[in-house]
Amino acid sequence: MLKNYFKIAIAVLRRRKFFTFISLFGISFTLTILLVLTAFINKIAGDSYPDRKRDRSLYISRMQEINKTGGQSSGPLSYYFLSHYASSLKTPVKVGISSIFSGTNTYVNNKKIAVNYKYTNDAYWDIMEYDFIEGKAFNKQQVDNGDKVAVISEDMKQQYFGDVPSVVGKYIEADNVKYRVTGVVKNVPITSYMTYGDIYLPYTVSKSDVRKDKSYRGGFFGVLLAKSSADVPRMHDEYQSMIDRLPMESKEFDKIYSHADPYIVSYVDTGNEGKSGVMIVLTTIGIFALLVMLLPTLNLVNINITRIMERSSEIGVRKAFGASSVTLVYQFIVENIILTLLGGLIGVILSFIAIKVLNGMNLIPNLVLSINFTVLAIGLLICFLFGLISGVYPAWRMSKLNVVTALKAS
Amino acid sequence: MFKHLFKLIWNKKKQNFLLMSEMLFSFLVLFAVFSLLVYYYNNYKKPMGMGYQNVWVVSYNNALQTKNTDSLDTYYETLRNSIKGMPEVNDLSFCSDNVPFSANTWTGLAGYNKHNYSNVNMYNAEDSYLKTLNGQLLEGRWFNKNDMATKIPSVVINNELREKLFGKGEAIGKIIDESDDGKNKKRVVGVIQAIKAKGDYAAAGDAVYHRIDTGSFRWLGKIIIQVTPAANAAFEARLYKTLANYMKNSNVEIEHLVNKRKDINYFTLVPMIVLSIVGCFLVINVALGLFGVLWYNINKRRGEIGLRRAVGATGSSVSNQLIMESMILATFSLIIGSFFAIQFPLLNVFDLSAGIYLVAILLAIIFIYLLVFLCSLYPGRQAAAIYPAVALHEE
Repeated sequence: MLKNYFKIAIAVLRRRKFFTFISLFGISFTLTILLVLTAFINKIAGDSYPDRKRDRSLYISRMQEINKTGGQSSGPLSYYFLSHYASSLKTPVKVGISSIFSGTNTYVNNKKIAVNYKYTNDAYWDIMEYDFIEGKAFNKQQVDNGDKVAVISEDMKQQYFGDVPSVVGKYIEADNVKYRVTGVVKNVPITSYMTYGDIYLPYTVSKSDVRKDKSYRGGFFGVLLAKSSADVPRMHDEYQSMIDRLPMESKEFDKIYSHADPYIVSYVDTGNEGKSGVMIVLTTIGIFALLVMLLPTLNLVNINITRIMERSSEIGVRKAFGASSVTLVYQFIVENIILTLLGGLIGVILSFIAIKVLNGMNLIPNLVLSINFTVLAIGLLICFLFGLISGVYPAWRMSKLNVVTALKAS
Repeated sequence: MFKHLFKLIWNKKKQNFLLMSEMLFSFLVLFAVFSLLVYYYNNYKKPMGMGYQNVWVVSYNNALQTKNTDSLDTYYETLRNSIKGMPEVNDLSFCSDNVPFSANTWTGLAGYNKHNYSNVNMYNAEDSYLKTLNGQLLEGRWFNKNDMATKIPSVVINNELREKLFGKGEAIGKIIDESDDGKNKKRVVGVIQAIKAKGDYAAAGDAVYHRIDTGSFRWLGKIIIQVTPAANAAFEARLYKTLANYMKNSNVEIEHLVNKRKDINYFTLVPMIVLSIVGCFLVINVALGLFGVLWYNINKRRGEIGLRRAVGATGSSVSNQLIMESMILATFSLIIGSFFAIQFPLLNVFDLSAGIYLVAILLAIIFIYLLVFLCSLYPGRQAAAIYPAVALHEE
């Protein structure tokens, strides 16, 4: 049965090549746009390098303080807050603390190199699983001593030292201070802003003394690691109750908000209690995808109707011989799904090309997009939906055709 | 004529309904894309308001922790003199974090005569700021030493804000207020050409410039330096060493406004390019679809067309009829689409000026008409070439 439908579908496709081209063009391009979008989202939200323990981690990225007058201010946290309050929780086995990356320069043979440095504590390296190309992270001892040591990224090594096999033990000068390199890690794209950096330093060598500053807010992120993923909700609640008990920093504030959230929620956090970042992102993506899909679907419906009406004689004959409307509708929808899947195949090929081109352009350094199984599955689903939606209405129109008029029309 | 065409369209309303909804959605997509493009282009046309070519930005932090304001001032005065002493340096100014092309924004209130405007950019700058940035003074003057001890602090505003507060009236010497309770009075001493601080494609917005007073050094963190064209990488390395050695406890970074401008423009250009590509693809898609459907429809109406030709209609009048039909269809969807689109300027969505939306609506309308016209041109010509004898024979 299906084989027959398949044969008929191919025969119909070859009948009016121009119409086939329009349909396939619409489907494949729409799919390409959506696939590239999903690949992008998948990379930013789903790529878990270097924090592979996301399932049992919670991220603290912001705190919002509300004034009595209704004003508010929000931003990242201070080292003091994270080490003093967040580390006092019972559930987390480890608390990683790292600063927001910020820029400085270094000059090698009068060539300027822009360096983004990031201060971390030692637990950060236990929680994160950076791929070390050589060497290793600095340990607790080195952090406590305030040793001038650094972990650098592949890119930094390439720019600063050039093509040398090993740089562990060599010195890199940044911000007018010489640091001894203890390890080199695989690059992280800048879009993973909580873990990105060119050069990672112990927080104890920071030029401003982060331990003395007693305010709650500063320039640091925190990562809480639970023993297992079952402990995560408890950890979340414990942090929440700690925040609820937190004394106000000064008289002008009367409410503090801060959350320990899963990666994605934390990633799109607006820092504003009233505006959920997740909602904003989802609506934007939703509206965009809807618009991109709506037009081609309408187009397909239009084209399909004209094509079906062309086959009215065939339909008339089948109906005259006793085929029910349901059978005809079913056949037509299957045909349409075959067509969309064909377009989907072309779309996937186009997406591969588009992604290759995008990666070649290197718009965002180290952000390498790839099409993986998830993205492909989503693409397939989109195609299927396409076929269904654009097939239903024309098929219904067709099934209502009167046998006599259908036969006469030819 | 129109009545007749209308009847023809009405008889096939089911089929035309789909076509119309497709045109409607393409119109809305185009309206969105054009709104953005027109907005960007409008901003792009306006002057930059500064010369960024030879300006560098130095960022530093917590260089000196002291409670004593005098020693603070002395510390930075020494730094200023040592930078200014370099032959490659023309001018410099300490200023607040919101330097041109940076992501930092400070906004506040500014009002005159009970008309308050929020989202006004607040800058803190020195007497040398305007010269360092090669800004352009339009009225009055920039700050000088005489503004140090005035009872009401002097401010300079940009021409965008001047337009809002004073319209065509006199601005110099007027007292504006930076809070809604009249407690934060400032005297306007000058008006400058608005500086597009967020890149070529972003609006400059309103701005108020305040003079840096003693004690501000506690929280300032940026220096803008205008260098001579002779300043090269070697000089930059030297300047960096000087700064880093002087401010031992600080992280120092030197950036060039030229590069910062590139980066910030990139953030506006990328979405624009992506949207344009998607818009283009949708338009091509719609065009092909329209073309196909119209072509098919005409082929189905061979009998009708043959009849018209047989009773003496010319080829061109037949093709005109078909083109007119699709144009009327387009008009219907454009009327509905414009009804939706006109809500944007009426409700003042996204705070864009009504002119931008209106131009975008106009462009989208022209575009759709053109598209429909081109798509029905070829099928119409085909219809004109139908021989009545052949067409009537088919029936």
